[in-house]
Amino acid sequence: MTFLEFTEGPMFYFAAALFVVAGLWRLVGIVRLGKKPDLAPARGSAATGFLKGNLRHFFPRGLFAQRTWMHLLGGYGFHLGLFVLFFFAAPHIAFIEKFTGLSWPALPRWGFIIAAEIAFAGLIVLWVRRFSDPVMRLISDWDDHVGTWLTFIVMLTGCLALQEAHDSLRAIHMLSVNIWLIYFPFSRLMHAFTFFLSRGATGANYGRKGMNP
Amino acid sequence: MTVTAFKLHPLRLLVAAITLLCLAMASTADAQSSVRPPEGAVDSPGITAPLGEASDADIWRQLKYGGTEPPPVVGDNPILEVPGRPQNVFEALMEEIRPSETVNVTSSSGQPRVMQVLGEEWRLLRREIILPYAGWILVTVLGVIALFGIVRGRIKIRGGRSGKYIPRFSMAHRIAHWFLASSFILMAISGLVILLGRTVLVPIIGKEANAVLTSAMLQGHNLFGPVFILSLLIVIFKFMKGNFFQWADAKWIIKGGGLLGGHASSHHYNFGEKTWYWIVVIVGLIMSATGMLLLFPWVTEVLAWHQLSTVLHAGGAILMISIAMGHAYIGSIGMEGSLDSMLRGEVDENWAKEHHDLWYEEVTGKKASHDEDESAPGAATAEGSA
Ligand code: HEM
Repeated sequence: MTFLEFTEGPMFYFAAALFVVAGLWRLVGIVRLGKKPDLAPARGSAATGFLKGNLRHFFPRGLFAQRTWMHLLGGYGFHLGLFVLFFFAAPHIAFIEKFTGLSWPALPRWGFIIAAEIAFAGLIVLWVRRFSDPVMRLISDWDDHVGTWLTFIVMLTGCLALQEAHDSLRAIHMLSVNIWLIYFPFSRLMHAFTFFLSRGATGANYGRKGMNP
Repeated sequence: MTVTAFKLHPLRLLVAAITLLCLAMASTADAQSSVRPPEGAVDSPGITAPLGEASDADIWRQLKYGGTEPPPVVGDNPILEVPGRPQNVFEALMEEIRPSETVNVTSSSGQPRVMQVLGEEWRLLRREIILPYAGWILVTVLGVIALFGIVRGRIKIRGGRSGKYIPRFSMAHRIAHWFLASSFILMAISGLVILLGRTVLVPIIGKEANAVLTSAMLQGHNLFGPVFILSLLIVIFKFMKGNFFQWADAKWIIKGGGLLGGHASSHHYNFGEKTWYWIVVIVGLIMSATGMLLLFPWVTEVLAWHQLSTVLHAGGAILMISIAMGHAYIGSIGMEGSLDSMLRGEVDENWAKEHHDLWYEEVTGKKASHDEDESAPGAATAEGSA
């Protein structure tokens, strides 16, 4: 078994299984926490609040947008870019098809490259903000940095393997993907799945009190 | 000695006869040459002597440079030293822009020549000058920085920190700066592997590993290029204010930035910083333009533009990396209090008074005294381009 076969085979199966099981474990755990019974009569809909809370947080408040426009652009650039490059890059679609049989149209190479560039620019901006803002520096711990760096390394090794000419480069990319998958459920990277719960919980709380903006 | 030794052996006779016959045929062929040039071929100018009488070097030179007179040979390398002809990529490009009257399609430089030698000149420039010197320049710069660090030590804030801070760079300034620094480092590392991999890395890691590494770095370099350009443009606009020449800069230059003794006053940026800013602007833009041309080579078919681009791109990279290393040193471990401006966005008052007194006076409305400077003339402030 070559190293590439190992990273795309047993190691990938292990990492993916851990990602799913541990991720679900955490999500279910959070949901099962439930909330304290609220004895006050409801003045509005908690469900609408949940939804509004989620949607509203996609748009910054006017004053914040002015002060944090770089962070805003970085955040959107990174997440949207990552989404596009993950789901619409031809090699990724081929990889997913290999395991699931599912396939969909891929972006042309130039589109994928632009998405990757936007994602990189965004990630770098988000990371440099983390250490050049004293408040961010205070509230960031090693988990934030490890999560950022692992994500960066996954993206970097992917882009370094773009020529698709060397197995070793592909194997390094797969190795970093596996490490990322293993780290994911135990870290703040989980925010990819938990963000809607926290935004929703806040929204539902306010919604029930009739404070839906 | 026996007579038999002089006897003509029939076999020897046969060999001698065949040899004579061949010689005779060869001389006839030479006299009434049966080798005709292909139809439509023209005589190369200047090549009048029968083949074999002129030296090969002369013939090749005339094929390459045309002309009726053999070009003068100066030094070891006549190819690069032919007067009146484009000597290098830059001159060829000038001819391309303003072609001479005798334009002929036989060369990409617009010169009437049978052979096109620009590629060879470019190859020599790359191999003989850029590749061998690039690495050594960087090593030398690193050495000089290390030496400066050892001799001068960390430049301390005179009088120590005051504990009071004044704002210097906004959040957007800091993000822009580190965005550029990060993308620059990615470009520099990948670029250096591409440039020096064959000469520096192959002897250490071997050809195979270098091939894999270079493929990776090339992809990375191409992909990060536009990210670097974006960050460069943001920095150019965000940092332009305050980076134009002011009267205080002239005095700063005369005082050698404080190295020649006495205090060298400066506004928000001192002259060293301003120079760095404009190098980042000019060289950065040249790097971006040449890089884009190399990334999208079909933009122009003029070969000389591509060759010029590679030369400028490599030269600009070495220049920027060299200065960036000095900048990074003096902006971090080399000078106490500098990094605060890019990490906290604010600097210690005493740092501001010492390094940017005029700016300090502008923002605080207080006077910055330099009494200590007169009493300690030897204690120069060495304000580099932090
Ligand atoms: C990675 C190590 C680096 C460090 C530690 C560093 C540090 C600093 C610091 C402390 C300042 C503020 C100086 C002041 O307060 O006056 C500064 C300014 C600046 N830096 Fe950097 N820097 C680094 C890399 C870079 C790179 C790679 C570039 C460009 C390619 C760059 C471009 C600039 C520019 C344009 C300024 C604005 C000041 C001026 O106008 O000259 N820096 N840097």
